[in-house]
Amino acid sequence: MAFWKELANRIGYLLGRSRFDRELQEEVLFHIQARADELEEAGVSAADALRQARREFGSTLRAREETRAAWQIRWLEDLAADLAYALRALRRNPALALAAVGSLALGIGANATVFSVAREALFSQPSCRDCQRLVQVSAGGNSWFSMPQYRFLEAAHVFDGLAGINIGMVVNWRDGNRTYRLAGTHVTDNFFAVTGIPVAMGRPMQRGDTNAAVITHGFWTRRLNSDANVLGRQLALDGQPYTVVGVLPRDHRMLAGFGFTPDLYLTKDPGEAMLYARLPQGVTRAAAYARLQTICREMDRVFPDANRPWTREVSLASVGGMERLQQGGQMAMPVTAFFAMLVIVTAIVVLIACANVSSLLLARAFARSREFAIRMSLGGSRNRLIRQLLAESLLLALLGIGAGLALDLWLSGLLSGLRIPTPLPIELLIRPDFALLAYAAAITLLVTLATGLAPALKGTRAGIAGALKQDARLAPSGRTLRNSLVAGQLAVSMVLLCAALLFWRNLSNAASFNAGFDTAHTVVSTFQTVRGSYTPRDFAALVDAATERLRALPGVEAVSPAGAVPLNPFLAFSRNGGKLRPDAGSRTVRVQYDSNAVGIDYFRVMAIPILRGRAFQESDRLGAPDAVILNETLARRLFGDANPVGRVLRFPDNHDARIVGVARNSKYVTLGEGNSMALYSPFAQGKSSAFAHFFVRTGGAPDAIARKVDETLGTLDSAAAVETHPMREIFAGALLPSRVGAAILGAMALFALLLASVGLYGVLLYSIQQRMREIGIRVALGATPGDVLTMVAGQSLRLLLPGLGIGLALAVVAVRPLAMFLVPEVRPADPINFVAVAAVLALVAGLATVAPAARALRVDPSVSLRHE
Amino acid sequence: MENNPAPELLPGTLYLLILGTLSRGPLHGYAIVKRIKEASREGLRIEDGSLYPALNRMLVKGWLASEWGVSENHRKARFYRLTREGRKQLERETGEFDRLVRAIQLVMRTV
Repeated sequence: MAFWKELANRIGYLLGRSRFDRELQEEVLFHIQARADELEEAGVSAADALRQARREFGSTLRAREETRAAWQIRWLEDLAADLAYALRALRRNPALALAAVGSLALGIGANATVFSVAREALFSQPSCRDCQRLVQVSAGGNSWFSMPQYRFLEAAHVFDGLAGINIGMVVNWRDGNRTYRLAGTHVTDNFFAVTGIPVAMGRPMQRGDTNAAVITHGFWTRRLNSDANVLGRQLALDGQPYTVVGVLPRDHRMLAGFGFTPDLYLTKDPGEAMLYARLPQGVTRAAAYARLQTICREMDRVFPDANRPWTREVSLASVGGMERLQQGGQMAMPVTAFFAMLVIVTAIVVLIACANVSSLLLARAFARSREFAIRMSLGGSRNRLIRQLLAESLLLALLGIGAGLALDLWLSGLLSGLRIPTPLPIELLIRPDFALLAYAAAITLLVTLATGLAPALKGTRAGIAGALKQDARLAPSGRTLRNSLVAGQLAVSMVLLCAALLFWRNLSNAASFNAGFDTAHTVVSTFQTVRGSYTPRDFAALVDAATERLRALPGVEAVSPAGAVPLNPFLAFSRNGGKLRPDAGSRTVRVQYDSNAVGIDYFRVMAIPILRGRAFQESDRLGAPDAVILNETLARRLFGDANPVGRVLRFPDNHDARIVGVARNSKYVTLGEGNSMALYSPFAQGKSSAFAHFFVRTGGAPDAIARKVDETLGTLDSAAAVETHPMREIFAGALLPSRVGAAILGAMALFALLLASVGLYGVLLYSIQQRMREIGIRVALGATPGDVLTMVAGQSLRLLLPGLGIGLALAVVAVRPLAMFLVPEVRPADPINFVAVAAVLALVAGLATVAPAARALRVDPSVSLRHE
Repeated sequence: MENNPAPELLPGTLYLLILGTLSRGPLHGYAIVKRIKEASREGLRIEDGSLYPALNRMLVKGWLASEWGVSENHRKARFYRLTREGRKQLERETGEFDRLVRAIQLVMRTV
């Protein structure tokens, strides 16, 4: 206790030092004056009294100095002095300071942000009450249940409440005379009661609520302008009035995770739902699991499914952490892989940055060993010198940490709340992770001090005599360390450059890539009616009417409805699989194909040639025999080289369809896919009753027609949500992963290359400076400029070649997993990649050698030999 | 007085003397020296130069507090007073000192 009080007193002194000095001065003067007054009273003359008082007091300077010492924290003031000196030293060498601080800042800032984002996206704890007792139920290897199944499970009372939710439902919101598509979430009325999701305003939904809505903070601020009277407000959703009963807090995190953020939760029959259950108090997960197994046996009796017994793959997964990630399945895979790649790449760059900082510090310490020798010979203690060097490292680390913190705060602010417009929008709430930052700061401090300590010890160990000897300055071990750091940097740059080049080639390949259909003259309009407002027959009539009206628009060449939009990961073709029987015979062929329901003019709009047979026509209607068109790959798989047109195909559900044509292959789901199999069916024979995509081909600019398409479709059904975009824009979405990958990796690789070349340049330049005398002697003995150049180039090559060799070996292994992000035309193992990258690296290394070589050529023996 | 220099202070007794002097009320630095000199009948003299370092060390430790006031001859002076902490320290040191003196006297008598 006493210690802290003392420390507080001392710190108080530090803060008011100048005032303290002034007061001390006054006090001492008073003391002397008081003594003089006394002497004067005793009869001494004024002048003598003052003189005697002064003499008796002795040295006021010493008294003041000792008094001050009573307050000082010695090491702190020494440290301040060291830091001030270090600051001056860094200012003399701003390039080094900038390189080091920049490297550290990027290392800490970028890394912390990447980790914050990854953690938020993958591992954030959802908003709920007592989440440990909340589990997601799946059975039969499936986490989706129909409403009767849900009610059956709920009635079994295994849990303390079982609630259903269907995320990613499109809801049409009629506001004034416009209709918007909202990302809605349908929940059972007990959903909030079971999960205990907190609300910020109003109340959660309650059992028995009908037509109630709980809106998210984002929807409230963005779309309702933070309306203070929002509670009780009516929203026309899917043609029905809903009452807003509550607003969620800004940091609401959905149970599903991944940053999914809908606009609102509605009490509405979800149709199919994912189930969340609360474990009863005192019942373990294992006990609940055992009881659920029993219920699943009942389920097998009530809802028999021969292919999928309910008792198989029953699970109760927790709503956070690894288990949720596994539950995410297909979707979680690429997201996790993407973050893993990002984390690895940033880690690599940080590694280079750290290597660079230590390499720079090493080079500097060796260059200064003469300065140290002189200071030591003048009586400076070795400890003092080491402390000085450590202070410089500390300053660099502190500046780097400060800049890194600023970078992290800036990036977090930039990324937080960014709404990614997937069908169920993703919005991550990214907060700087201060625990992580503190950890990173501690590591940085440690690493920087450690890297600063090595040269400090080495640089001062040589002793006075050793260090003053010119040639002994560059200890061989120091050279090896620095050389291996540079070689390592070159190697890592090589790996990153290879990865970046792959992404870049992927991008240019994909951009100029022939998707197999025309994207330049097409707009796509998504037309979403309120579910249940049309019978399939009425909806087909509506689609026909819409097609007619769109075709009548000026500039429109052809119009076709379709069920899916190619190359759009969210509106994509549905993937089907199973055993097909050509000619309805006994022979079965197991295939996986993408399917789409398309209108008559679809192939005209998309400019996809029909190679055999015909496109769909008016007669392919509901009631007429089913017709299908295959793509080349599927036709060949099913019928070989024979002409499939006119033949019959039997599907796994035993319905037959006649093949009327074969269409040219194109891309369906991703640009990266090979020649996938695909099947088209007539839109008019589909069962769609709620939405359609209208593909409109125009002779003019797609942007001009988009608004007219919007208006035309809007007049057909005012409750329907309509969204129109040029095909090009939707297509751009398919390139997004490549773009992001190329941009991030490209930037990182360039940064790494820059760092490595700075490292190489620094090492060469320092070594030339060390060898000045040697070069001078050689030139004096008749070495030509060519010989000198050879010497410098040789040294550069000795650094470059091991770097390239190691880098190549690493790159060959490291880029292999990138194949999953790339179009098939870009192969990770393509030797051209490695050759190109090696050439670039060699070129940059050459450039980094130019300045040191020029320096070596300027060596004048008459000067350099007199250097001592 | 000049020919008969005051005996050197036992180490650590300076704090004790200052604490004791201040126990009767706040004083400024010069008054502390004077009070000790008078009370000891010139037997103890505190170096002017070592007074302020000692006072400040005691301020740091929190035994004393100081504030500016006006001296008897109307000059601005810094007055020191005991804190509660200082009073406790005085009791502690007085006890220790008494024990020490008694012990030394015992030894001197028996040897």
